Amino acid sequence: MSSCKALAVGFLALFCTATLAQAPAAPSPSWKQGMTPEQETSTLHPFAPHMTGRSAKDLPVDKLKVPAGFKVEVWAEGIPEARSLALGDKGTVFVSNRLAKNVYAVVDKGSEREVKTALKGLNSPNGIVFSKGTLFVAERDKISRYDGIEGNLDNPPAPKVVIDNLDPTNQAGHFWKYLALGPDGKLYFNIGAPGNIVMPSYMQASIMRVNPADGKLETVALGVRNSVGITFNPKTKEVWFTNHGRDWLGDDSPNDTLHRVSLGGKSVPNFGYPFCHQGDTIDPDYGKNRSCSEFSKPALKLGTHIAPLGVKFYNGKMFPAEYQNTMFIAMHGSWNRQPKQGYNIMHVTLDANGNPKMTPFLTGFLQDEKADPPMWGRPVDILQMKDGSLLFSDDYNGILYRVSYAKK
Amino acid sequence: MSIVLRYGSAAAWAAALCFFTWEAALAADPQLCAACHGPEGNSVIAANPSLAGQPEQMISTQLYQFREGNRKDPQMSPMSEKLTNKEMNELAAYFSKQKAAAPTHKTSPENAAEGPKLAQQFNCVQCHGPALRGQQHIPRIAGQQYEYLLAQLRKFKARQRADLDGNMTAATEPLKDKDIEVLADYVAGLSPQ
Repeated sequence: MSSCKALAVGFLALFCTATLAQAPAAPSPSWKQGMTPEQETSTLHPFAPHMTGRSAKDLPVDKLKVPAGFKVEVWAEGIPEARSLALGDKGTVFVSNRLAKNVYAVVDKGSEREVKTALKGLNSPNGIVFSKGTLFVAERDKISRYDGIEGNLDNPPAPKVVIDNLDPTNQAGHFWKYLALGPDGKLYFNIGAPGNIVMPSYMQASIMRVNPADGKLETVALGVRNSVGITFNPKTKEVWFTNHGRDWLGDDSPNDTLHRVSLGGKSVPNFGYPFCHQGDTIDPDYGKNRSCSEFSKPALKLGTHIAPLGVKFYNGKMFPAEYQNTMFIAMHGSWNRQPKQGYNIMHVTLDANGNPKMTPFLTGFLQDEKADPPMWGRPVDILQMKDGSLLFSDDYNGILYRVSYAKK
Repeated sequence: MSIVLRYGSAAAWAAALCFFTWEAALAADPQLCAACHGPEGNSVIAANPSLAGQPEQMISTQLYQFREGNRKDPQMSPMSEKLTNKEMNELAAYFSKQKAAAPTHKTSPENAAEGPKLAQQFNCVQCHGPALRGQQHIPRIAGQQYEYLLAQLRKFKARQRADLDGNMTAATEPLKDKDIEVLADYVAGLSPQ
């Protein structure tokens, strides 16, 4: 080896050692990723929930408005950061969260409801589903099953892992999972994009499904930035899901979206992230040299930065006939725009051709669209009860509300 | 060294006193917090934060973080262990309504000039507000105890401090130790209201 070469190798080794010895830089929070230099002084920020909850008696619950004949009331409170909802066979309502570590069980005792801590020490247990005596829980990295939990709330069974290694990179953003049970008996869930606008890995920015019987994983849809609401049309067996569009592209772009995928389809649709948003808007960074015509289109644009979360088809017996087989969507509301919008529960009907149309169903959480915070509560997930009433969760306050209908 | 020792023993005494009084009481009485956090939550101990006039949600969030083991402290971890969410909310409501006292800390003239520039450059004002008086779950840092500010900034930078959304860990990453000293000296001398 020539002395010159040796020197070069030595220098390179030194350089590498020095680089390795340095602590890696802390990444900017994932919600700030994708800001333009001009946006770096922006005061827009996500809203943190009240982790200790707030009591309904201190909140303007009477401001909530529903259509004539419907009634909304507080059903349970004191459930930290109440997110996803699941109904047990015996009527227990299971409630998840994404910033805490527990799963709560609300036991209805007629005039009052008892909140129990059913599971402890979990890792962002946002996704829950109940089926035939089993509670399935999606944490950031795995899905587990708790068989026979409803009869053993004070002494829950040990979990059995359905699938593991769902977060191999310990991703910074969108690490929480939503979980839904398909008519095919498979568990459907999201793996979000790891940041606001970044190139996802082979299994990120997707809707996946796993067969709990054998743990086999399949891809349902790609190019989905982050879905926190998945449901199934009871008539057509299509899967429908909500999706959050990217941030820092302006107050009026892009729309959050609602998507439809046929379960019998032969190919896996790609909805465009990070190249194309809302089916027709090319990303200013990733979309150069790409076209939105390469990608599948959303079923409906829902509004910009309104944050659609839970979506559910209604097939209960309580609401008027026109609500049969229509959808409700819980909108968490915006942070990345000014003025703010969302924080409502929307009603989506399908016309004869299956095209969706959306109208507000429950409003009143938004107090002042220019204030910080602009709202006093935020809807997250929707659950149809056995009597046909709907429960919905509010993670900002840790409250569950019930919407019922009485014939006039 | 002697200063550290003397200060350390004072803190230990205060902690012992806090713990003793706390154990003796059954309910969450804000007066018990005063042993360490000062009368009405205006701290007179350099290492302990003032709670008076802090945003309500910030106080309840931090108590929650201590109880859940996300944020750890030899005094606050055991203190928060037995508190219910309701008691945390009551304590937060009480201290948020107390009047924050004028700081005793005097910022050096150089840091009074340099501090505002750094607070802009490192984005402190974006979340803590233009006067650094906090909002929602974000603390008021204007007029906070100097030693406490210094310790928290260093812990965030060393990734040893719980961070609900990762903001402070990222924000302190580019800070040099000198910047931390300037910012703490500047912020501690600001009027809290």
